[in-house]
This record gives sequence, C-alpha cells and structure tokens, in this order.
Amino acid sequence: MLVAVPALNEAAALGRVLESLATAQPLRDVVVIDDGSSDETARIAREAGARVISHAINLGVGAAMGTAFKFAARAGYDAVIQFDGDGQHRPEFIPDLIAALDSADLVIGSRYSSGGSYKSSAARRSVQRFIARVTSLYARTRLTDATSGFRISGPRAVAVFAEHYPVEWLGDTVESIVLATRQGLKVAELPVAMNERAGGVPSQSILRATLYTGRILFILGLASIRRVPPAARRARRDAEEAA
Amino acid sequence: MTPQLLAIAMAVVLLFAVILLLRSYVLPEKYAVIWIGAALAAIVLSAWPGLLAAISHFFGIAQPINLLFVGAFFVVLLLLMQVTLELARTRDELRRVVQKVALEQEESRDDR
Repeated sequence: MLVAVPALNEAAALGRVLESLATAQPLRDVVVIDDGSSDETARIAREAGARVISHAINLGVGAAMGTAFKFAARAGYDAVIQFDGDGQHRPEFIPDLIAALDSADLVIGSRYSSGGSYKSSAARRSVQRFIARVTSLYARTRLTDATSGFRISGPRAVAVFAEHYPVEWLGDTVESIVLATRQGLKVAELPVAMNERAGGVPSQSILRATLYTGRILFILGLASIRRVPPAARRARRDAEEAA
Repeated sequence: MTPQLLAIAMAVVLLFAVILLLRSYVLPEKYAVIWIGAALAAIVLSAWPGLLAAISHFFGIAQPINLLFVGAFFVVLLLLMQVTLELARTRDELRRVVQKVALEQEESRDDR
C-alpha cells in the first residue's frame, strides 16, 4: 500500500506531517508529489526518507494524484491513500481506511459524518453539505464530505485512476467519485477527525462560495455526460480478471 | 425558410459541437464556459430578435445589426486575447519543462 502526499509549497508543515505519518506507514512506501513547488518541499521530503516525484511546473492536485496513481500502478502497489501535506489529516485513521477497503473500492474519510468533530464556518459547511448531497445522488450512497482529500483507493480504483484521473482545478475530488461510480466501483465513506488547517485560514465570502459551488455542480454535470476514457474502462476489466 | 431559422440552426449546431467536444475530453472545462455562453447568447439573440432591437434602441443605435457586429467583434477580440495569453503561458511552461528534462539527463549521465 502506498501513501501519496500531493504537496505545493508545504515546506513549513511537511516535515512534521511526514514525522507523524511515519508512525502509521514506513516512509519508503510514502511518495510526496511535489507539484512544482518553489520552496524546499522536495528536499525536506527526501531528507525525511520519503520518495519524491517532482513536477517541473504546477499542474494542480488532480494531476499530482494522477502521477501518484501511475507511479503506484507501475510499482505494483494495490492501494493508494491520499494524504494532504498541510497537517489536516491524521495518520491514526489510516488503519481504519485500510479496513474499510474490504467492502468498497473507494473510501472517503469524512469530517462531517457523525464520528467527526470538525469546526468550520456555517457558510462553508452548508456549501459542503449541498455538494455532498448532489454527489451522493451520483454515487448512490450517502456521502457527507465529497470534497475530502483523505481517501483510499483499492486495486480496481487504482487501475482505473492510473489510466485516467480528473484534473479540473478543485474538481478532482468529486469528479473522481463520479468516474469510479460510472465504472461500477463501490464508493463508501468513513467518519474521521481532522485537524484545523495548519496554514492560513481559507477565506470564504458568499460570492466565492457561490462561484465554487457553481463550478463543482458544472463539473458534476459534465462528469455525468462525459465518456469514460476507453483506457480506463479496459484497466478496470483487466483488474477484475486479475482478481 | 426564414433567415431567423437559419440563425437559430447555426447557433444550435455550435452548442452541440461544444457539448460533443466536452464529452470526449477534447475541450477542457475552463474554456467550455465561455463557448457555452457564446452559443446560448447566439440562440437567445436569434430566437428573439426584439431583444437586439431593444438594446440598440437603448444605446441609440439606428441599425440593430450594427450592435451585433460591434458586440461580436469585441467578444472575438477578447477571446483572441485569452488565447494569446494562454499560448504565452504554455510556451513559458514548455521552456521550463524542457530545461528540467535536459538538466536531469545530464545528472543521470553523471551517475553512470
């Protein structure tokens, strides 16, 4: 199993994040995808003992995870955990995620479902709840935190995502759920607790929240009419035959 | 057949082309919004000619068709500007990627 940490200019937090991650996962099975950082992100990750893949230019979280899935498929990993480099996610929930993989192909760690106790503004919460509700319709299961970046992908999902992972800015989280569902993969969620963001507080004005929601809805609509790339379909069939 | 029907048909063809391109991942979402907007505006304006006349009247333009030409020309200029900026950015990124690949090839040659 591989832990993938997409990181853009996370030099300040990454050292501590990798240190805590090491308690749950040997760092040689951790890959930091440095997405064109201009700071010391890559050097810090390498010195901590993690594998590092550096993008020459900034391509966004979706492309970083795409690289991680391609790396995982090549290196023969059968599951990939996405874990943010800013200290928001907690390594003690990794075993729970792995266990949840028994009955699903893609498990999303949710900070809003009953087990979690994440504090956030009312506006932000209602935006996330609305997005989660719409995504749930596509995924045919109840999701409460569709945009969460703390998630695990099983063997079939890794095969699909290595061929194709959504790259639209900020839309990769929800679009990947729709893609997985349309490929007949099972999506589930697991309550987790998360830390407050270590970096700056995300600003959320009403206008920005509306634009953000509109974009996500547009991406969801698009994802449902888009053809699944043939390569991704083939990868899933191959993974099923192998299983 | 009236010219209005022809205009509506052309606008609908544009919208369909945009949707088909989106569906097959050829047209990225970032540029799709502007094209869907242009196609919808074309459909509305051709299906409802009174709207163009009303806006022309508001601006004091005698011939509504002139407003259409000026407006469309302006939108095309803006689109062209966006494409130029994107091209400049892409060239810059390509240069950086080529430089990085070249540097890493040299490093891996040293390792051997």
